[in-house]
Amino acid sequence: MTSGARVSLVVNGRRREVADVPFGERLLDTLRWRLSLKGTKEGCRAGNCGACTVLVDGRPMLSCLLLTHEANGASVTTIEGVEALSVGRAVVRAFEAEGGLQCGYCTPGFVMALVGHLASPGADRSPAAVRAALEGNLCRCTGYASIVRAAQRAAKEVA
Amino acid sequence: MSYSVRPDALEKLTGQVLYGVDVERPGMWWGALVPSPAAAGRLVAIDASAVADEEAVVVTAADLPRLLPNGSGDPERPIFPSTAVRYRGEPVAAVAAPTLERARAAAARVRVRLDAEAPVEDLDRLFPDWPSPETMRDHPLVNGHVLARFGPVDRAFRTADELFQETYRTSGVHQVPLEPHACVADATGSVWHVTTSTQTPFGCREDTASLLGIPESSLVVEGSWVGGAFGSKGSALLEPYALVLSRASGRPVRLALSYAEEFQLGRTTLPSVLRLETALRNGRVVGRRARLLLDTGASLPGGDFTLGYAAGFLLGPYGAPALEIEGYAIRTHKPPFGPHRAPFIPQVAFAIESHLTHLAAHLGEDPIRLRRATVWTEGQTTTLGQRVGPFGLDRCLERAAEVVRAWRVDLPAGHGVGTGAGFWSTGAGAGGEARVVLTPTAVEVEQSEREIGSGSVLRGVAAVVERVLGLPPSHVVVRYQDTASGPFDSGVFGSRTVAALGQAAEKASRRLLTVLQERAGLRSTPRLAVADGRIVLEAPGTSAPVETLFTDSERRAGRLVVDGRHYGRAEGGIDPSRAVVGEFHPFTDFTAAAHVAEVEVDRELGAVRVVRYHAIHDVGTLIDRRTATAQVEGGVAMGLGEALTEEMLWRDDGRLENPGLLDYRLMTITDVPPIEVEFVEGFRGAGPFGAKGLGEIPIVPVPATIAAAIHDALGRPLFELPMTPERIARALAERTVDRPPVGRGAPA
Repeated sequence: MTSGARVSLVVNGRRREVADVPFGERLLDTLRWRLSLKGTKEGCRAGNCGACTVLVDGRPMLSCLLLTHEANGASVTTIEGVEALSVGRAVVRAFEAEGGLQCGYCTPGFVMALVGHLASPGADRSPAAVRAALEGNLCRCTGYASIVRAAQRAAKEVA
Repeated sequence: MSYSVRPDALEKLTGQVLYGVDVERPGMWWGALVPSPAAAGRLVAIDASAVADEEAVVVTAADLPRLLPNGSGDPERPIFPSTAVRYRGEPVAAVAAPTLERARAAAARVRVRLDAEAPVEDLDRLFPDWPSPETMRDHPLVNGHVLARFGPVDRAFRTADELFQETYRTSGVHQVPLEPHACVADATGSVWHVTTSTQTPFGCREDTASLLGIPESSLVVEGSWVGGAFGSKGSALLEPYALVLSRASGRPVRLALSYAEEFQLGRTTLPSVLRLETALRNGRVVGRRARLLLDTGASLPGGDFTLGYAAGFLLGPYGAPALEIEGYAIRTHKPPFGPHRAPFIPQVAFAIESHLTHLAAHLGEDPIRLRRATVWTEGQTTTLGQRVGPFGLDRCLERAAEVVRAWRVDLPAGHGVGTGAGFWSTGAGAGGEARVVLTPTAVEVEQSEREIGSGSVLRGVAAVVERVLGLPPSHVVVRYQDTASGPFDSGVFGSRTVAALGQAAEKASRRLLTVLQERAGLRSTPRLAVADGRIVLEAPGTSAPVETLFTDSERRAGRLVVDGRHYGRAEGGIDPSRAVVGEFHPFTDFTAAAHVAEVEVDRELGAVRVVRYHAIHDVGTLIDRRTATAQVEGGVAMGLGEALTEEMLWRDDGRLENPGLLDYRLMTITDVPPIEVEFVEGFRGAGPFGAKGLGEIPIVPVPATIAAAIHDALGRPLFELPMTPERIARALAERTVDRPPVGRGAPA
C-alpha cells in the first residue's frame, strides 16, 4: 500500500536497519511495533502528553511527532537503554528512592525528558529549570509531587 | 528483594511492564469501531459494501446471532444498536483487519444511514426554569428520582424570615487515564480469553459475559498492567467488541481507543445543576434543602447508582433541624454516566461547601466555625438517618483553622485563603479473597487484582500482611493471577483495596499464625521474622525455620497456603422514615478531609494561581505513610483540574468539542503547588487495624477549597465549575456582590 524505504537507526547503541518503513510512519510506531520496544508509551499521539519522549542524538523528542524517516541515521535512546547512560542510572535511582511514579505509564517519558535535560552540556539544574524541563509531560496519578522530589534528587546527584 | 517506596518502581522505570496497549498475540488482527455519526435518531442501514479490503471483517448487530452461542447477548444492553442510536460515537459496527491502518480505513468506509433527530444535551435548555414536581412526574427523560426528608421541613421554610438560596452548575469531567482502554481478545477456542487493562478483572468478566449472553465460566479475563483508571476501567467497554471481532475473524484481535475515542466513548461524570436553600430565622439555620438535576447520559432507567449514592452527600456532613433532598437523573444523548474517582462528589461538595462559605460571609461568621457548629460527630445521624461512626472531620477542621490563621499572616494583596471539607466512605462492601503462601524463604499473597497505580495492591496489601506477621517492610510479595486461577475479588475501586482485599489478606495472615502456633504447640501467637534469607517463626523461647513446621506434602510443594475471605455485610442503617422515594445506599464508614488553599487571582485576566495547599485527612489508621501521602498528592492535583480547567464541552448536536489534551486541559507540573499532607488517626474505619480507604476522598474537597480561596481573594462568589478565567471575569463584572439573585443563582 504505502510506499516505504529502509531506515537506519542506532537504537540504544545498536545499529538497526528497518526495511520498508512507510514515509508517514511515526518513530513511536517503529519503536513499538517494528522493534518491539514497548517501553516507549503511546499517549495522546498529538504532542500534548510527553509519554512517548525518547532521546534523538541526545535531545528529548516526542516520538509521536517525529517521522521515522526524519530520524534516519540518528542515534535513538529509549527507556530500555536508559541504564546504559550514567545520567540515566542516576535518574532511575532517584525516582526509585523517591517513589516518583504510580501507574508508571507516563514514567518513561518523564525519565527520558529529565535525562535529556540533565545530560545536556551546561544544563541548568536549579529546581525551577528542572521543573520547566518536565512541563511537557503529563502525569495523572502523582500530582507531580513525588516526581518533583525525584527530579531534584537526580539533579543533585548528577551535579 | 527490597525496595524504597514501591515494589514495581524499577520495572516501571526501565520500561519493562506491559500495559493493555502493549499486549500482542501471534497472528493478531487489529480492530476499529464504527461510531454513530449522530447523537440521536433511527438507524436505517449500515452499509459495508464500500469496504474495499477483502480481508476486513465487519460486524454489526445483525451478525451477533451467528457469532454468539446464545442469541444476540443481553437484550437490555445490546452492544450494537439495531434500531435507535443513543449518543454520538456509539459503536454501531466494528471492523477487524490485519493492520490498524487497514482496520481504520475499512471502518471509515462503513456507511451508517440514520434518520437523525435533535438530541437532548443541555440541562438548562431542557429545564429553563426549575422544574415543578408535576413537570417531573411523568417526564420521559427522568431516569431516576430520589427524595428524602427529616424534621419539620415545610414549617421551617414557611416560617423562615430569610431564604438563602443559590444555584450551582458543574461540568462533565473525564478520568483521562494516560493509558487509553485497550485489550486483546481471543474467541477462537471453546474458552474465550481477553487480556485487558482493567481495575476489576472479575467485574469485567461478569459484565462481558452478561453483555454477550455467555456463561462466566467460558470466559477468562487476564488483567494487564493498568496505566491509570480512576474508575474508567471497571465494567466492560471494549472487551465484548474485541471478542466478537475475534469470533468473526478467527484470530486474536487487539482493540484500543485513540485519545479522541477515549474522550468520546468514556463513561464519566456528566453535568449537573444543584440548588441549595437554607431557611434562616433570626439569623439561625432552621432548615436546609438540596435539589439536584443530574445528567446521566444514555444510562438505562434506574440503572445509575450515582443518584442514590450522591443523595447522601448533597447536604454535606452537617446537621440541621429540618432537611430535605431531592434529585432527578436526566437521560440525555451523551455516553452513560460512569464511575470517576468519588463519582460526582467533588461537584456536590463544591456546591454545599461553597453554600456554607457564602452563608458564613452573609451572616458575618467565620466559615470554619460555622461548619464546626453542625459537623457530624460519632453517634449523630446522617441526612438519611444512619448512625455516624468514628469521624474525624471536626478535628480536621480544627487543624485547618490553625493553618488558615498562619497563612493569613502577611497575606499579599490579591491573594486569598480558603477552606473546604468533604467526606466519603470506604467501599468495604462486596467481597474478596486472598491466599497467603508461606515458603521457606518468602511470604507471598496470591490475589486477582492488578496494580492500577495507587500502590494499594502491591504495597497496601503487602503492608497489611507485614503488620500482621511482624515482618519488616518490603518482605511480602503480592502476586497477580487471572480469573481462571486467582481467588475472587470484586475490584480495585471505591477506595476498597486495602480495606476489603486487605482484610482478606489480614484474615489469611492471622490464620497462618494460628496454624503455625498450633503446630509448634505455642501458648501465645508467634511472629515471623527473616534470618539469613529464611523465614523463621519467633515466639518467646522459640525460633525455628518455618519449614520445620510444614507437613510432608507442604514440604514437597515447598509451600503452606492459607486462604482468607472478606465479604462485607450489606448494612442497613438508612432510616426508612426519611427515605421517601428511591433507593439510597448506606455508608460503610466515614472518611473525612479538610483542605486549605492559598490562591493568587489576577483580577484583569481572571487567572488563578494556586500558591500552596494543605490537606488534612482522617485515615482511621495509617497503613503505609508514603503510599498514603502519594494518594493525597495525586488526588489534590486531579481535583485542581476539576476546580480550574477540566470541562467536557458538548455542542447541541452531541459532538464533544474538546476530545483531546490541548483543549481539555490537565494540570501540569508547573500548575500544581507544593502540597502539605497531614493525617489524623484514631477514628477507626472499616479496614484492617481500623484503616479507612484513601483512594477517592483526596479529590472531594478540592474544588470547594479553591472556590473558597477565590471568594476570599475577590469577595465574589462563584457558582460554576470549572472556575475558568472567563467565569471569574464574569463574576467580577457582576454588580451583585456576595449574593446571587433568588432563582437562577449563577450569572446568565
